[in-house]
Amino acid sequence: MSGLVDIVSQPLAIESGVFGLLVMVLVTGLTGAGRANQLAGWLSLTGLAALTFAAAIARPGAVAFDGTFAVDELAVFVKIVFLGSALLSVLAALGIRDGAMLRRSPEYHVALLASLLGMLVLASARDLVLLFVAFELMSIPLYVLAGFERKGEAAPEGALKFFLVGSVSSAVILYGLSFVYGATGSMSLAAIGPALDARHPLLLLGMGLAFGGLGFKIAAVPFHMWVPDTYEAAGTPYVAWLSVAPKAAGFVAIIRLYIDGIGPAVMMWVPAIATIAAVTIVAGNLMAIPQQNIKRLLGYSGIAHIGYLLMGLVAMSVSGVGMLLFYLVAYLFGNMGAFFVVQAVARTEQSDQIDVYRGLAQRSPALALSLLVFLLSLGGIPFMAGFWAKLFVFWAVVERGQYWLAFLGAVATVVALYYYLVVAKRMYIDAPTRTDAVRVPGVLLIAIFVCMAGVLVMGLYPDPWVAGAIQAASSLF
Amino acid sequence: MTRLPVLSIVTWAPFVAALFIMAFGRRRPALVRWVAAASAAVSSVGSLWIFYAYDRTAGGFQFSERLDLVPTLGIAYELGVDGMSIVMVLLTAIIIFAGVFASWTVKTRDQEFYALLLLLVTGVFGVFVSLDLFVFFLFYEIAVLPMYLLIGIWGSSGDVPPRGIFGWAYRRTGVGSKEYAAMKLTLYLLFGSAFILVGILALYVAAGSSSFSLVELQQIRFEPRLQYWVFLLLYVGFGILAAIYPFHTWSPDGHASAPTAVSMLHAGVLMKLGAYGVIRVGMELLPEATLGLAWLVGGIACINIVWGALSAMAQTDLKYVIAYSSVSHMGIVMLGAATLTETGMNGAIFQMFAHGIMTGLFFALVGLVYEKAHSREIFKMGGFATMMPGIAAAFTIGGLSSLGLPATSGFVAEFLTFLGAWSSSHPWWLLPGVAGAFLTSLYVLRVVRAIFWGPKSDDPHFQHLPDAQGTEWVALMLLVFVIVLFGVAPGLAIGPIDTYTVPLLTRLGAL
Repeated sequence: MSGLVDIVSQPLAIESGVFGLLVMVLVTGLTGAGRANQLAGWLSLTGLAALTFAAAIARPGAVAFDGTFAVDELAVFVKIVFLGSALLSVLAALGIRDGAMLRRSPEYHVALLASLLGMLVLASARDLVLLFVAFELMSIPLYVLAGFERKGEAAPEGALKFFLVGSVSSAVILYGLSFVYGATGSMSLAAIGPALDARHPLLLLGMGLAFGGLGFKIAAVPFHMWVPDTYEAAGTPYVAWLSVAPKAAGFVAIIRLYIDGIGPAVMMWVPAIATIAAVTIVAGNLMAIPQQNIKRLLGYSGIAHIGYLLMGLVAMSVSGVGMLLFYLVAYLFGNMGAFFVVQAVARTEQSDQIDVYRGLAQRSPALALSLLVFLLSLGGIPFMAGFWAKLFVFWAVVERGQYWLAFLGAVATVVALYYYLVVAKRMYIDAPTRTDAVRVPGVLLIAIFVCMAGVLVMGLYPDPWVAGAIQAASSLF
Repeated sequence: MTRLPVLSIVTWAPFVAALFIMAFGRRRPALVRWVAAASAAVSSVGSLWIFYAYDRTAGGFQFSERLDLVPTLGIAYELGVDGMSIVMVLLTAIIIFAGVFASWTVKTRDQEFYALLLLLVTGVFGVFVSLDLFVFFLFYEIAVLPMYLLIGIWGSSGDVPPRGIFGWAYRRTGVGSKEYAAMKLTLYLLFGSAFILVGILALYVAAGSSSFSLVELQQIRFEPRLQYWVFLLLYVGFGILAAIYPFHTWSPDGHASAPTAVSMLHAGVLMKLGAYGVIRVGMELLPEATLGLAWLVGGIACINIVWGALSAMAQTDLKYVIAYSSVSHMGIVMLGAATLTETGMNGAIFQMFAHGIMTGLFFALVGLVYEKAHSREIFKMGGFATMMPGIAAAFTIGGLSSLGLPATSGFVAEFLTFLGAWSSSHPWWLLPGVAGAFLTSLYVLRVVRAIFWGPKSDDPHFQHLPDAQGTEWVALMLLVFVIVLFGVAPGLAIGPIDTYTVPLLTRLGAL
């Protein structure tokens, strides 16, 4: 066992594993003819399960390439998040047996693994160039995947929007980073803080631009426009993943650049981030209200959640970043779970409209209950993961003295609960239009069950999760 | 010998029953009802025992229980009752016991109905007995959320479509429908809980982030500026649940649309929870703000009393009359609390109890009348006393208590409150109080006369209506008995209440 731990604790061990898996899936796709479609999915699933386990037992502390690539506690934590969410997404995707997935499943999995590889490298990158390259490795396959299921006109539109916005934001990030490099003369993140006063105009300009670009990636308002269209058009298991993992990656990049890079002088960024957080929370929640399509609704609610995650950043403290990480995990289970239920319902109903959820509680009580649990968790109701997540970020900003932001966040929660309850009303209060139960494939059932367990376990026993998140954050300060 | 954890038993018995009902109650309506009744009985017996065994000479928190939940954050499952909470626990037990019997005839999805109802009750008990602000908040949320489904699924929509110049807007938003009422109530109350959460967090952080315990927070003197705005947060947050003006509009809609037992529980107990929160958290922890803002609390309470009574007079729907009368009566509770005198405070807490029982009785009766006559329109019904003498008598007794007739519990409460108002630093508060009592007698007697004692209606639907039957009597007899008992012997409740109010006022420096 200890030998195994040693191996997986090597720098780049997990990344090499994902790369190997990627090659295997690619080769399977090229040679396996008809059965390859099935095989690719199961291969990815097994490989990811093994790698998630490896990441979970890995020890932090490894460093490679002169400190350019560091596996600190934060990196280990988010790597587990990336791998775990990818695992759930692949599991749910196995439940799809038609359309593009039937014909070109290996392509899908290769692209997904490539993007995952980018995220994993990003989590450890402590160098501007590596950071950017990893970011692009993550982003480009995401654009491909967004247009993977080309049904109707919506998919190309959503994918293209995502691609255009994404490439522009990448360019903006790169432009910003070039100023930072120009000002400090070094590519290393560790060199930024000591080299320059945080108020140096070039640094301000560079970091500001980079924040704008990253804002697009995490979909903070006003950089959020691509989200609902992309979510609506793309395949649901992919969207479930897209709504969590790349956002987490964006936050890791922000944490690396600002907290790791600038150092204590980062406090001057607090008002700007607080403003963006407030605007994101309010706008995301308000725009979610009129939605008739549940994927768009979850898209807008996801934007609001980005605002809450930014609140954790506003605190700029161990507890703040720790709570941000805790929030990410809670959001992972709640949001992915909700999307999986949407996938299950859409499979039977061929529609993502909220209207098709009428009377779901009488048709499939368990499915309705799980969606209710996920939505209540997202809404921050006690005894679910989301409650602690919200509470902790509020607490972190109150400690920083930003009472107004906590207050705003708490009030906006009520707005969010309104549109979550509208879905609950459809499921529980309205009469069903048909009586047959929604049939759910076994793999999807497992995925939903895992998310449900995550939400409830975190909700009832948050202690170890909080400790883990705090420990991951403590390496930064 | 380890003592029996009575408070935990009282609190969790309904919850256990709810789980049991969800597990085994499918298509067994009799089992569901008797399990619910049994758990309500367990809670009631426990509450009576607490009420009886509470040491009135010692005072303070008794029956304490403690279990650390999250030691690093200072969250503990800490329970205890004092003179105010034992009365509230008793009230909750009486109402839920009556409520289980009042909803005996629920037909659709009765399994879920009883499970949610009992879950709600666990939340209410929990709020009244918890001494840890965090656990308090958790219970508070449990008490609020099931309401959405309870009203949305089992509620009833109003018969009369909205009219008037804004009628089109009301119709578009669905005013009067149960879905509208459920959503409005839930959002208002959650909005309030957002205020409460921030207030509690602010106190917790200001006290050094080490404990949520009420007892420990009481030792700390917060700086005055913090006190003022936290008091306002808590006042608005809890006040929404206590239906303070202008945040009261959820209450008539919600109570009118809710099914009988839920109206009983909500108007009877949950609104008290708001007033309880203001006193327990706001007044106990923030003495300077309490003294400084009493004028605001009392002033708004006066508006409540008069506004609620006037609104009740304008209604033609029986359930709305009762609902608006709750708004008016909750004003009396807040007024009594704001007087900061011993008699006034005693009156306020006694009024919480008295009004809870009385409004519970009213909603039970309205439910019965509706079940028999299928109408809530006051001026269409008439002369029911000859057909349903039991219901008519109970309604009249409730009405007399509502307008404050001596020998009913309502009289004691209002008398003490007005006495307190007169001796407080704002004696003019007496005027709106008495005006409210006068208006109450107008609308109550009007309703009682029109429906029960007046001339018989010619409508063929209202000719052969039965009186209350079987289990329906349980709720009526019990509640009428309590009204009269506490009207004749108010000392039963005033005794323990006094052990709470005197130390509180002493600490506030108002005595």
